[in-house]
Amino acid sequence: MHNKDVSKQFLDNRHQLVTVSSELKVVESDNVIFYLDKGSDITEFHPFFYTLTTIFDELETSHRFFCIQIEFLGKRRYIDIQTKKSIENQEVYVFIEDMTEHYKNVHQIKQVRNESIIQFNVVQELNNQLEVQRGFKNKFLANVSHEIRTPLNSIKGFLNVLKVSEVSKEQLDIINIVQDSSDTLVTILDDLLDISKIEAGRLEIKNRRFDFKSFIDVLRKTYALRAQEKRLDFDFEIGENIPNFLVGDRLRINQILINLLENALRYTHQGSIKLNISTSSRNLRRIPITFEIIDTGIGIAPENLERIFESFTQLEKRGLFGGSGLGLSIVKQLTGLMESELEVKSVEGEGSSFNFTLTLGVSHDQKSKIERDSVPLIALPDKEIKGKKKKKKRILYGEDIEVNQLLMTKLMADHGGYSLDIAKNGEWVIEYLERYPYDLLLLDLTMPVMDGFDAATVIRNHSNKQIRKIPIIALTARTTQEEKELAKEAGINAFLIKPLDQKALFETIDRLLNRYKKKKQEED
Amino acid sequence: MSVSKKIVLLGHFGVGKSSLLRRFVENTFSENYMVTIGVHIMKKEVAVENDAVTLIIWDVEGTDDFTKYRSSYLMGASSFIYVFDATRAITYSDLKYNLNHINEKFRGIPVHVVGNKVDLVDENDLLKELEAQEIKHSYLSSAKTGKNVELLFQDIAAQLVTHAQ
Ligand SMILES: Nc1nc2c(ncn2[C@@H]2O[C@H](COP(=O)(O)OP(=O)(O)OP(=O)(O)O)[C@@H](O)[C@H]2O)c(=O)[nH]1
Ligand SMILES: [Mg+2]
Repeated sequence: MHNKDVSKQFLDNRHQLVTVSSELKVVESDNVIFYLDKGSDITEFHPFFYTLTTIFDELETSHRFFCIQIEFLGKRRYIDIQTKKSIENQEVYVFIEDMTEHYKNVHQIKQVRNESIIQFNVVQELNNQLEVQRGFKNKFLANVSHEIRTPLNSIKGFLNVLKVSEVSKEQLDIINIVQDSSDTLVTILDDLLDISKIEAGRLEIKNRRFDFKSFIDVLRKTYALRAQEKRLDFDFEIGENIPNFLVGDRLRINQILINLLENALRYTHQGSIKLNISTSSRNLRRIPITFEIIDTGIGIAPENLERIFESFTQLEKRGLFGGSGLGLSIVKQLTGLMESELEVKSVEGEGSSFNFTLTLGVSHDQKSKIERDSVPLIALPDKEIKGKKKKKKRILYGEDIEVNQLLMTKLMADHGGYSLDIAKNGEWVIEYLERYPYDLLLLDLTMPVMDGFDAATVIRNHSNKQIRKIPIIALTARTTQEEKELAKEAGINAFLIKPLDQKALFETIDRLLNRYKKKKQEED
Repeated sequence: MSVSKKIVLLGHFGVGKSSLLRRFVENTFSENYMVTIGVHIMKKEVAVENDAVTLIIWDVEGTDDFTKYRSSYLMGASSFIYVFDATRAITYSDLKYNLNHINEKFRGIPVHVVGNKVDLVDENDLLKELEAQEIKHSYLSSAKTGKNVELLFQDIAAQLVTHAQ
C-alpha cells in the first residue's frame, strides 16, 4: 500500500488515460496532464486524434505513437500515445505519457547535429559551384601553373648545376631520373596552361609556311625509335601527292601528333603503331590532309569513348599527375580550333584509331628551304670558349628572387667564362650600368620598383651610347605572345624562358656577344 | 463536419517542411531553424468548389533514409508531400530511391514532389540540374515568399475531394 502510493506520486503527473467513443467524443478522462471535457470532441483538443478514426476501421487492436508535439497552455509538450480498442469495438482507450523532459534532450542533440550537417552541405554546394565556374577554373589553372613554374625553375636549374659538379655514376643516374620527372612536370604545366588558354579563347592558331615533309620526317624517326624501345613495329605512310611546303600552325600540329603518338605508345604493349598521312586532293591552294594514328593497344571501352576527351573528368579520375593526363583533351580542343574534328574508333582489347583532317594551305614556293620564322642558331660549343684565354666578359643580372640569383651565380661560376654582377631591381640595373662597363644584360621581366620592360626602355633611350647598345636577354617564367611582343618593342634582343636551360642560356649569350662584336667592328 | 484527410510531409531535415506548413496554416515565416522531432500536426480547412475538406497535416521529423520512417506516422495518409531543398543537391540526389520505397509501401497514394527555397536559387539552373538528374517535381515553392504554397495545398485538397467521390 505504502509503495503504491509513492509510485502513484511519480507516475501520475506524467500519465493520463482517456476513453474515446467511436464518434471521437471523450467518454472518460483522468485529466492528469490535459484537461478534457467529458462529451467534447477530442479532435478539437488536438488534430492528432483524427487518427483514431483509422484505428476504429482497423483490425489491429493496439497502436503506439511516439514523440507527438502538442502545445498546451502555451507550453510545448512531447507525448507518447498508446491506443487500445475495447473488445466490443465501441471505445478506444488512449494512454498518454508525457515525455517532454526526455525529448527535449533529444531535440537539443538533433538541433546541433542537423545544423552542422546543413552547414557542411552548404559549403560543399559552394565548392561545387566554384569548380564548375569556368572562369575560376581557368584562372586557377593559370595561377597554379605559374606558381609551380617558379620553384620548378630552380629545381631544374640546380639539377643542371649538380650534373656538372663532381658526382658518382649512381648519383648521376638519380639526377637524370629527377630531371626526367621535372621535364614531365614542365610538359604537364604547359598542357594545363594550354587548356586554360583554349577554354578562355586566348589560344590562337598561327599559320605560317613550313617544311612539312622534313617536319614529318623528324617525327617519323623519333617515333620509330620510341616504338623500337618498346619492341613495337612502327609503320609509316605518307601520300606521294602531299607537297613539301605547307601553310599551317606547325607548333600545334606537332603538339597534336605527339600527343596522339605518345598516347598510342602508352597503351600499346604489343603489335604496332601506325601513322598515315594522306590527301584526296590535288588542289594548288588548299588541301585537306588526313592524319591517322592506329594502334593495336588495349583499346577503349565504348562507355569511355566520349569521356577520354574530358580533361576534368580525367583530372578527377586519374589524378593530376598520373595516367595519360590532359593530352587527348588538348588534341580534341586543338583540332577543334583548326576547324577539324577528332574521330576515334576503338575495340576494347584490339586497339584504337584516331583520325582528323586539317585543311592546310599549299605554299606557292615549294623550293626555298628558309622558313621565315625560324632563327638560325650560331652555337659555339662550351669548350671552345673555355679553352681560349681571354678577358672575361662582364654580365649584369637584374633579378629580385634570391634563389634565381644564386642559381645564376652558380651557373656562371661553373662556366667560368664570365663575371657576374647582380642588381635586385630595374633601378639598380640602371645604376650599375651607369657606374660600370658591362658586355651584356640578363633581365628578369618581373621585378619590384622598376620591372624589366621599363628598365629596357630606359636603357634603349639612354644618353650613353655604350649603355644604349648593350645586348639584353630577358628571362621570364611568363610565356605569352603578347609579352614577347612587348619585350621586343622595349628593345630586348632575346627571350629565354624559365626554367632556364643551361645550354640555351650560354648559346644565346654567345650569339648576342658575337653579333654585338661584329656590329662594333663594322661601325669602327 | 467536413471530410478530413491526412497528409504527411516527408523529406530530409532542414528542407523547409515546417516552414511550408507554417506558411500555409499561419501565413508566417521564420529564418530560424527549429528542428522538428517526432511529429507536429496541424490542420486547416480548405474550400474546394462547393465542398470543404479538413487537411490534417503531419509534419514529420526529417530524415534522409525513408526506410527509417515510423510506420505509425505514415499510416492512414491520403497523400504525401515530398519536400527537397533546392539549394542542397544532397536532399534530392536520393529522391528516386526514396520515392520507390514509398510507392512500394503505399501503393496508389499520390506523392507530390516539391522543390522548396527557390527564392535562393536561379530557377533555370535548378531546372537544368533536375532534368539532368531526371527528377520530376510537381511544384517549386518558397515558404519565405509564399510562392506556390497555397497552390500546392489547394491542388492536393482538390485532388482528394474528387478522388473521395
Ligand atoms: N530562404 C528560404 N529559407 C527557407 C525556406 N523554407 C525554409 N527555410 C529555412 O530553412 C530552415 C529549415 O526550415 P524548416 O522548415 O525548419 O525545415 P524542416 O524540413 O522542417 O526541417 P526538420 O524539421 O529538421 O526536418 C529554416 O532556417 C528556414 O527559415 C524558403 O522557402 N526559403
Ligand atoms: Mg521541421
